[in-house]
This record gives sequence, C-alpha cells and structure tokens, in this order.
Amino acid sequence: MRFITSTSVFLALASAFLLYGLNYDTRQLEARVQQEELAVAQARSDIAVLKAERAHLTRPERIEPLARAQGLAAATDKQFARDIPIVVGAVNN
Amino acid sequence: MRRTATKPRATASVDEVSLRLRAIAVTGAVGLAFLAVGGQLVRLAAVNSGVTLQSNISETVAHSFSRPDLVDRNGRLFATDVENPSLFADPGVIIDRDEVVEKLTQVLPGLNARELRRDLSDRSKRFVWIKRQIAPNLAQKVHDLGLPGVSFRTELKRAYPLSRLAGHVLGAVNVDNKGVSGMERYLDDSGSVEAVHGATLSERAPVRLSIDIGVQHSLTEELQDATKRYKAEAATGVVMDVTTGEVLASASLPEPDPRSGSAADTQQTDRITGGTYELGSIFKMLTVAESLDEGVSTLDTIYDVRQPMVEGRFTIKDLHPMGRPASVRDIFLHSSNVGAAMIALKSGGDKQKAFLTKLGLLDQGRTEAGPIAQPQVPKRWERIEQITIAYGHGVAVAPLQFAAAAAALVNGGELVKPTFLRGRSEAKKTRVISADTSRQINELMRLNVTDPAGTGKRAEVPGYRVGGKTGTAEMAGVGGYEKKSVISSFVAAFPMEKPQYVVMVMLFKPQATDETKNEITAGHNAAPTAGRIIARVAPLLGVMPEPVQAAATGVPGQAN
Repeated sequence: MRFITSTSVFLALASAFLLYGLNYDTRQLEARVQQEELAVAQARSDIAVLKAERAHLTRPERIEPLARAQGLAAATDKQFARDIPIVVGAVNN
Repeated sequence: MRRTATKPRATASVDEVSLRLRAIAVTGAVGLAFLAVGGQLVRLAAVNSGVTLQSNISETVAHSFSRPDLVDRNGRLFATDVENPSLFADPGVIIDRDEVVEKLTQVLPGLNARELRRDLSDRSKRFVWIKRQIAPNLAQKVHDLGLPGVSFRTELKRAYPLSRLAGHVLGAVNVDNKGVSGMERYLDDSGSVEAVHGATLSERAPVRLSIDIGVQHSLTEELQDATKRYKAEAATGVVMDVTTGEVLASASLPEPDPRSGSAADTQQTDRITGGTYELGSIFKMLTVAESLDEGVSTLDTIYDVRQPMVEGRFTIKDLHPMGRPASVRDIFLHSSNVGAAMIALKSGGDKQKAFLTKLGLLDQGRTEAGPIAQPQVPKRWERIEQITIAYGHGVAVAPLQFAAAAAALVNGGELVKPTFLRGRSEAKKTRVISADTSRQINELMRLNVTDPAGTGKRAEVPGYRVGGKTGTAEMAGVGGYEKKSVISSFVAAFPMEKPQYVVMVMLFKPQATDETKNEITAGHNAAPTAGRIIARVAPLLGVMPEPVQAAATGVPGQAN
C-alpha cells in the first residue's frame, strides 16, 4: 500500500514536472515560430522594396539616356537577320 | 526509570529511523524539486536569450488595403506595395502637448500646428493620426525626438517605380491604399484587394496588364517630341492589338503622377478614354467601309466632286479641290469632304447610323478601368447630319473607341473590345464587315501612304508596310468652329497585308512651323508622328520587316 502511494506520488510529481517542461518547450517553440514569421515578413518587405527599386532603376526613362550615351539606338528594321544581305545590297546600290 | 525507559526507547529508535528516513526522503524530494526548478530556470535563461515575445497591440483604428502588384504584359513591375511608417499619437499619454506640437512642426514642416494642437487636446481619444506615410529619414528624426505618446505604425504604401509612365491607365490610390481610378480601381472592384491591419503585403499573384513598358515609353517619348516639334497643346496616342483589342500603350500628354493620388486637373485628363472629340476625316474610313460593305459603291464608283456642296445654309468645301469627278479611291486619298458626303448620302442615313451603332461608336463603351466617355450623338439624323458625320463632324467619340472600330475594319471585319488586361479577350467574335471589305479598306489605307497624292505619305516606315488615314478636325469653339485650332489625327495600321496593330495619334492645336511647311493639317504633323512611333515600336513588337528593296516602291525619304 505504502509502496503504491509513494510510487503514485512520485509519478504525480514526475508528470507535473514533465508537463511543466513541455509547457515551456511549447512556449519556446511558439516564440521561435513568431520570430521566424517576423523574419519572413521582414524578408518579404525587403523583397518588395528591392523589387520596386529594381523597377525604378530599370525604368526606360533612365535606361534610354544611358544606352544612348553608350552609342546604342532604338531597334530598327535593319536589325532583323533575314534582311542583312538585302540591306547590304541596298547600300551598294 | 531506566528499565521502563528502555523499551520505549527501543521502539522510539525504530520510529526515529523511519522518521529520519522520511525526513531525508522529503528533503531529497524538495531538494530535487528545487534543483529541477533551478535547472529549468537556468535552461530558460540560457536558451531564451534574444527571444522577445511580440505583444500584439489591438489595431482597431488603422486598417489599410493590401493590393497585388500590377505588371506589364511581360511581367515588368508597374506598381507594388511597400511598407512605410506612419506617425500617430495617443493624446492620453502625452505629457507636454505644446512641446510635442513645437518639436513635431520643426521636423515635419508640412504639419498644421493648430490642427495638431486641437487633435491632441482631446485626452479621451487614444489614437490620432499625425501624419501618414512619411519618409523613413523623417521618421527616424521624429523617433530621435523621443516624445512620449508619439509612435509609428507601419502601413502599406503604393509605389510607382516608373513614375508617370502609363499614369492614366494605372490610375491612383488614396491614403488608405484603396484604388480611386484606373486599373487600381479595377483591382478593388474585382475583389483582389484585401483589407488588412497594419502592413501585410498581398500574397496574390500580380495582375498582368496588356501594356508593354517598352512600347508605352516609346509612344510617350515620341508624343512628347511631337508636342515640341509642332507646338501642340496636348497629344495622345494609343497602340492596340487588332485581333484581341489589347491596348499595348496608351498615353495622353500631359501625364498625371499616380503618386500624387489627387484628381488630375483638366489639362491632365485622359483624353484617350475620358474625352470625346469630333475626329474629322479619319471618319471617312467608316463612311467608305460602310458604302463598300453595303454594296452601294465600289472602289471605282465615280462621284462628281467638282462643285462645293450646298446644303441649306452650309457649304461643304474641299481643302484641295480635285476639280474632276473622282472615284471612291481618289476621294479617300485626297480626303475629299464633298466626296465623303456624297458617298454617305447615296447609302442613306439609316444605314450610316446602323453601321456606326454596329461598330459601337454611338453607345458608351467600357474597359476594366471604368466607363469610356459617352459619345455625343446628334438628336436628329437628317441630311445635314449625314453629310457632316461622313467626314467626321457631328459625332464625337472617345479616341479609344475609334481605335477599336478602326481595328475591327482592318482585322478582317471582326469587332474588338478594348481591354487593358492581357489574355482576357473573348473568343466569340462578332462580324461587322465582310473580310473582303476589310481587305479593300486595307488596300486604301496602304495606298494612302504609298501614293504620292496620298495624305498619309509622311507616315511611311521602310519595311513595315504602314497604312493610314489622316484627319484634321476644326475644334468647336465659341460660336462655331475655329479655323486655326484643330485636332489633327492619324489612324494607322501595320503591317498592311495582314494588320497586327493599330496606332492612333492625335495632336491638339498644333501650330504651323517651317517643318510642316506652314500647314496644320494631319498629313504634316500627325502622320509623321505615327510613322516615327511605328518605326520605334514595330521592332519591339516583333513585327517582321519586309525586305527594304521591295518596300521602296513607296515614297523614299519621306519617313523621318
């Protein structure tokens, strides 16, 4: 009888302790999940900003003067490969 | 005593041992428990460092809208949401109101001190916006002031990285990030915008517009160039796919800034969809198409256009009278008003009205971005209306609607509905004219550019087989039409043997310059502008040029 009592007391204590530990583990996991979520949100926000910045930097209004400064020009009909011999012929005429 | 004491002592020693054992057990258990608790604390302290539990403030006041991105037809970004700090105050917590007002107005010069003081004086309020969506560097400055009761909340703000490009099509959003016009409002209406607390970026797929950023930029630039060249007050242009009705570019200068979020002033209204104009001679395309399709005329039917036409108190004259009877083909090439009027009168008013209705030019149209301006149609449709409508006066329509009608005429005769979204065109097509008529119209339009007598010869682009029709419409002013104020327009299609795209250009109040040989007619300003636009956008659109030699049968050197 006494053995049973002491064992059950021990078990009760042990399970209480276990639960206590689990409870804290769970809370920790929750905190970590929240942290990760925060990091994800931050990364998404950074991506949004970077995307906008990339679009801003590649806007035609900015690229065009840069390209023209490099000696480039808008595409013309002469740049289609099919026409090259004919264009050369036209120049010779 | 001793003897008597012995026995109890013996029993006591047994009790004592068990008591001591018990005490040790309890002490041990308690000790263990303490150790466990201590250990757990140490463990928590060791592991938990750095983890802060975020407290969730209940955000009952602020809610904004998270919007999907808008991208062009090739996936390039037009508009996106970014997080931006907004400044608010809790008047209940503020200690020194005057200090707060003074310091904030120093950092944020745009702030109204009186209003702010009034807002902060109500201590029962727990939330007052001070300034929404401020620049991050200013937010840092405010943060450095360290004012109690003043803090930030991250909100979503719409960013337009391309600034004004395609501003009319995109529209605008208000401070809550809710769409108020253009395709931004379409996003709200189509349910792809979600109300969110704080700053939650949308997870929806981007919405793909039909606009092509490259084409849009080229069109805008060429129009800007044209307004300078011809000293025009405003200019508009639209590039449309003739089979799907997708708008690849639509510009109306001067352009609004979508970031301003305010209603554009009257100069900046979108003339493509928001204004109706009497378009002038480009309407002759419709007059001729109707007559050909009804079998009333053929391209070779002769009309006597030698005399000006007198109708009641009006006299219809030609700008450059031909002085000889002319075929339908000549009437189109010389853009004869008298001829167009005769063609229209021959088929009659009912057919004319039915034809325009069939093309959707007399009813209000709609795009995703909202309704198109209601066409202005005469109340009575009698002889004089038939005559004026034949050459494009009397009916005023929005340019986008006309472009769609022109697309239907050149694409083989099937009606298209203008759209600003990619890949949404309806599969079911309504035929408006026969394929044969469409082919004849294409022939006329091409001839109008290649023929030395054609009004559109300055629109020629080597290799791209441009065809088109000019229109110079006098603007309605006080007490009649103004001779010097015109809208000159050019509606073009290319490549003409099987048109893929329609380009429509309109210049408002162009001036006569040396370059235009002191003319203000469309052949000298709108046509070359359309030519330059096509020369730039055709390679972008992947239209295969024809070998240059074969195309050189036109007028060499006229396209610039």
